[in-house]
Amino acid sequence: MLTLSTLAFVLIVITAMVILVFRDWRVNAGALAAQYLAAFALVTLSWPIGMSIVKLIVGWMATATIALTCLRQKESEPSSEPAASLFLRGLSGLLVILVIFILAPNLRENIFPKLDLVIVQGGLMLLGMALMQLGTNSDPYLTIISLLSLLSGFEIIHAGLEISTLLTGLLAIVNLGLALVGVYFIAKTSEQEETTASGEES
Amino acid sequence: MTLSTPILWVILPMGIAAIVGVFYNRYIFSIILTSVTAFALSMLALFFPENMTLSLGPLNLVFVESLAILGRQITIAYEMLPFITLIFFMNGLWALSSGISSVPKTFRPVSLVMTSLLTAALGVEPFLYAALLIETAVLVSIPMLSPLGQQPHAGVLRFLSLQTLALPFILLAGRLLTGVEALPPDSPLVFQSALMLGLGFGLWLAIFPFHSWVPMVSQRGSPLVTSFLLFIMPTTILLFSLNFINRYTFLRESQGLYETLRLIGTIMIVIGGAWSAFQNNLKRAFGFSALTETGFSLLAIGLTSQGGLVWMLLLFPVRALSFWLWGYILTLIEVRTGSLQIKGVQGFARRYPVLSIGLLLAQLSVAGLPLLAEFPIKISLITAAFETSTPIGVLSFLGNLGVFLFTVRLLAFLVTPEDADFPTRWSFTEETFEYLPVLIMILALLALGLFPHTFLSGIIQTLTAFSQLQ
Repeated sequence: MLTLSTLAFVLIVITAMVILVFRDWRVNAGALAAQYLAAFALVTLSWPIGMSIVKLIVGWMATATIALTCLRQKESEPSSEPAASLFLRGLSGLLVILVIFILAPNLRENIFPKLDLVIVQGGLMLLGMALMQLGTNSDPYLTIISLLSLLSGFEIIHAGLEISTLLTGLLAIVNLGLALVGVYFIAKTSEQEETTASGEES
Repeated sequence: MTLSTPILWVILPMGIAAIVGVFYNRYIFSIILTSVTAFALSMLALFFPENMTLSLGPLNLVFVESLAILGRQITIAYEMLPFITLIFFMNGLWALSSGISSVPKTFRPVSLVMTSLLTAALGVEPFLYAALLIETAVLVSIPMLSPLGQQPHAGVLRFLSLQTLALPFILLAGRLLTGVEALPPDSPLVFQSALMLGLGFGLWLAIFPFHSWVPMVSQRGSPLVTSFLLFIMPTTILLFSLNFINRYTFLRESQGLYETLRLIGTIMIVIGGAWSAFQNNLKRAFGFSALTETGFSLLAIGLTSQGGLVWMLLLFPVRALSFWLWGYILTLIEVRTGSLQIKGVQGFARRYPVLSIGLLLAQLSVAGLPLLAEFPIKISLITAAFETSTPIGVLSFLGNLGVFLFTVRLLAFLVTPEDADFPTRWSFTEETFEYLPVLIMILALLALGLFPHTFLSGIIQTLTAFSQLQ
């Protein structure tokens, strides 16, 4: 169990960093799907698998919804970015990781004494990375991905505090609602880009 | 036959909203269906018998207050019905006036879903789950704030992000609070849970420094839509916040909490007032004045010991009517002028005097001008603030002047002719269906200002739902 939770935590750190650093929707969608798998593994430490799997299914559904919309709407070639941007975002991600490693034991001791440290660290890592992402971009797609990550981080911690069918159901609605809002935004952005492009051509 | 009240005020309007959503392109049908549903539910809440039994000919409908869902309950108690009357009535009014071309077609079904979700949020047990229903209402509101054919703007993204951020804070605070009651007041957990709760409500209510989305959304959205959003969200969240004070003794008896609320309320009044006074965009000015109003509500909660909660509740209906009038007229002006920059409305009053008077009176009502609806409540509130602390009283008074100053600036632009050499002659060009609602609302604002207790006493009954706060 310890190995599994450690692996899940490592996967969370890697996927959160990938989402923070890279801007290609394919990479981000893949990382988000892997992130939900890791979050599921951490939730199983607190909840029975039957309940935990709801989070995995909902997360993958949300990811699939967004990814399929991107597949239809976004351009096929990923846009290249200067290495300096990637480096700076990577650096900010490392800063978040450092802060979480310093803060998590203290927070666990004072606020969440009943939770495993790995649960607190995993949840906070997603919350921290998502906050960093939200603060550093204004792209609708990345905003939605960040919000989904943020909720995922919160759900890992909250699962250790309470088990409730209604809460799980409502959180599933919120996650899927966010994904639908993401689809709405992506479709609109693409429409606008197409209109602008056709205007320029004519 | 036994039914439950949540079926009436939560599930039924959601079902109707789904129908309206399917036929959202048929705008007369959707306006009629939405407004009739909202008005009917409002009237039903107003005249609902205390014994919860409705007799329709031979049919006797017995209502129970609770509906069980997945092991939890949604309860709409009889005591909450005055507030439900208000929000459904206002929903009906907003829907009725939503036929203006610039209002998104999605507004009508979305507004009805939001009202029913927020009604459910007020009654869900345990009440912490309301955070999820409020978040769902936020998600549902996106199509009306960022309609089809428009690029999603930064304001909407910020609104969505900040409102979603509130959810973890409220739910975690709720979990922490369950263990806090048995602890001494100086326990660090008490402070930690209060801090989380404060952050959650700060994000929800767009309290400084989380307020930036309000002017951004106001500027880019349809005024009718943003006025609805800025009425229904803070109003419901403020009422929901009373659950915490009612439930937790350490919060209720904490002088520090009330002092903090008075301070934050005053900061909001000053910031909102100062920014609205110098705005050059009419829609942004509306957004900032909405922040001022949130400040007044927080100040009212901070003055609970002097009867502040009664003033907070009394402010809800008058603010709703003023916001509706303000949003309705701004929408009409935007359709005519194409811009809501203050220079863009120069000389507008010479062609559209009734709309101009309506706009000025809506703003002055929010500013608390004597004879208008908010005056009797705000004068009591500011007087109580003076009695509690002179700086808070002075600052609230000065902050409130911001909207007044903006109105004076706007008046100057509205009456000044565009061309000083060839001034436009005063004329009356509004259509009857445009100026009639404005005139009726002006009369309503005057009546509420002159006889506040005659018309507003009903809403105070909502306080009986909070047994510890009466």
